[in-house]
Amino acid sequence: MPLAVEAHQLVKRFSGRGGTVDAVRGVDLRVEEGEVFGFLGPNGAGKSTTVRMLTTLMTITSGTARVAGIDVSDEPDAARRGIGVALQEVGLDPRQTGRELLVLQARLFGSSASQAADRAQELLELVDLVDAADRRIKGYSGGMKRRLDLASALVHQPKVLFLDEPTTGLDPASRLTVWEEMRRINAQGTTVFLTTQYLEEADQLCSRLAIIDGGLIVREGTPVELKAELRRRRSLPQDPSLDDVFLDATGRTRERIAGQVQEVQG
Amino acid sequence: MTQYWVLGRRAIREVLRTPESLFPTVFIPIFFLVVNVGQAGRIFPAGATSFLKGQNYAAFQLPSALLLAASFGSAALYLVEDIEGGYFDKLRAAPVSRTAIVLGRLTAEAAKSVAISALIVLIALPFGISVASGILGFVLLLVLAAAWSVVYSGFVQLIALKSRSAAATQSGSLVFFPLLFLTPNFVPRDKLTHPMEIAATFNPVTYIMEALRSLILDDLDWTRIGRGFAVVAIAGVVMVALNVRAIRSYD
Ligand SMILES: Nc1ncnc2c1ncn2[C@@H]1O[C@H](COP(=O)(O)OP(=O)(O)O)[C@@H](O)[C@H]1O
Ligand SMILES: [Mg+2]
Repeated sequence: MPLAVEAHQLVKRFSGRGGTVDAVRGVDLRVEEGEVFGFLGPNGAGKSTTVRMLTTLMTITSGTARVAGIDVSDEPDAARRGIGVALQEVGLDPRQTGRELLVLQARLFGSSASQAADRAQELLELVDLVDAADRRIKGYSGGMKRRLDLASALVHQPKVLFLDEPTTGLDPASRLTVWEEMRRINAQGTTVFLTTQYLEEADQLCSRLAIIDGGLIVREGTPVELKAELRRRRSLPQDPSLDDVFLDATGRTRERIAGQVQEVQG
Repeated sequence: MTQYWVLGRRAIREVLRTPESLFPTVFIPIFFLVVNVGQAGRIFPAGATSFLKGQNYAAFQLPSALLLAASFGSAALYLVEDIEGGYFDKLRAAPVSRTAIVLGRLTAEAAKSVAISALIVLIALPFGISVASGILGFVLLLVLAAAWSVVYSGFVQLIALKSRSAAATQSGSLVFFPLLFLTPNFVPRDKLTHPMEIAATFNPVTYIMEALRSLILDDLDWTRIGRGFAVVAIAGVVMVALNVRAIRSYD
């Protein structure tokens, strides 16, 4: 059985007028089929860049990546058929209605007009947007847009779903809806590759996770393993939280973060 | 083919949902037509000016108006909106031929151009302008103007893909504008001053303008028409190829 996501020494270097940025500096990933894999890291760590390379949206500077067994640079179109992606910024067209957007998306993935209409209706029901389906997206709230974006990533029943910070900026109720959605999609056999800044989210949803910082993976394992490792190393009296693991892994301490906040306030 | 069709329909829907963007496209070329004819019409009286072939000066100016209208494409600005709004990434993440992504928008642009050119010609008819080459000529006129709109929009889309900014795209769309005026737009080419004549000869737009003009003033003059179509065909293929390449290497 091929791995859902497999990356070897993935590197992304941006060269521009402002010099070069090594956003991703040699990332290895192995995600099993059926997992919810968490990809954590502070802002600017390289999460989105990695997701964009894995989903064929960005060229790979060096290294290789396969999604659902298909090399994303050698056979991008074949890879795209197995990939669903909802990026950090929702990608919607404000002038279309929700239904039009889903129908178009389904047709781009090869559905006939009637199949596309059925699939759109199904997804609208799934993300609870039936009432708003025939209104222009321009008027949707942030949560509605997020849900529609998620639905549009699902039109072709992808094998691997990439979600880049799907809950950032959502109110708690919408966040829970997205969590539920994610669990349900995963229960149907879809592998989920989730990036997030919320450790609680990762703790709740992810079977395994990797922490990236400065373009390099600094920790990898199940939440339980990572906590136990830190507990052993620090000889802590009880299991630390995933927050502690994260802070330890990224070289940030609570004190330093508190200090920074004070500086900003002062 | 299906992909091309659904993307084209989406782009047309987009244009129809922003009808206000069409107003300047119709108004400004007609404004220039009226002003130019108003200023120079007396120098070139209908009966006594051989290059007018019996029509009035407005007939001679009409191709400039059509080219101007066809150069007011909005495809690139919609594309920038797609890029800025993230929808472009959604399209790129789908297994869609990159050519269909480019052509979808450009086809909508061509359709829009056909409608607007037809409207402008219809507005011009009551002012004594006729299309000397008849119905077939009229159709060729619309197709040629539409083909030019594809070339122009293709060029501006290229700027949009490279700059990804609405401001840069807007100002970049003006870069091509001088080409519209380095043409025999007030008098035929052989009546231009020598430097202008040379410039116009090297300007591909000249041949499109002359083809359009021959369709209005002459009967079907296949040499002129053929040259005009050859120029837009080559320029169109180059623009589409450059667009497709830009999307393939888009990061
Ligand atoms: N198009 C780009 N050009 C130059 N630098 C970029 C570009 N995209 C991202 N970066 C840089 O790459 C690094 C990683 O960014 P990103 O992957 O977006 O981080 P994250 O998603 O983890 O917050 C950051 O330093 C960011 O500034
Ligand atoms: Mg990010």
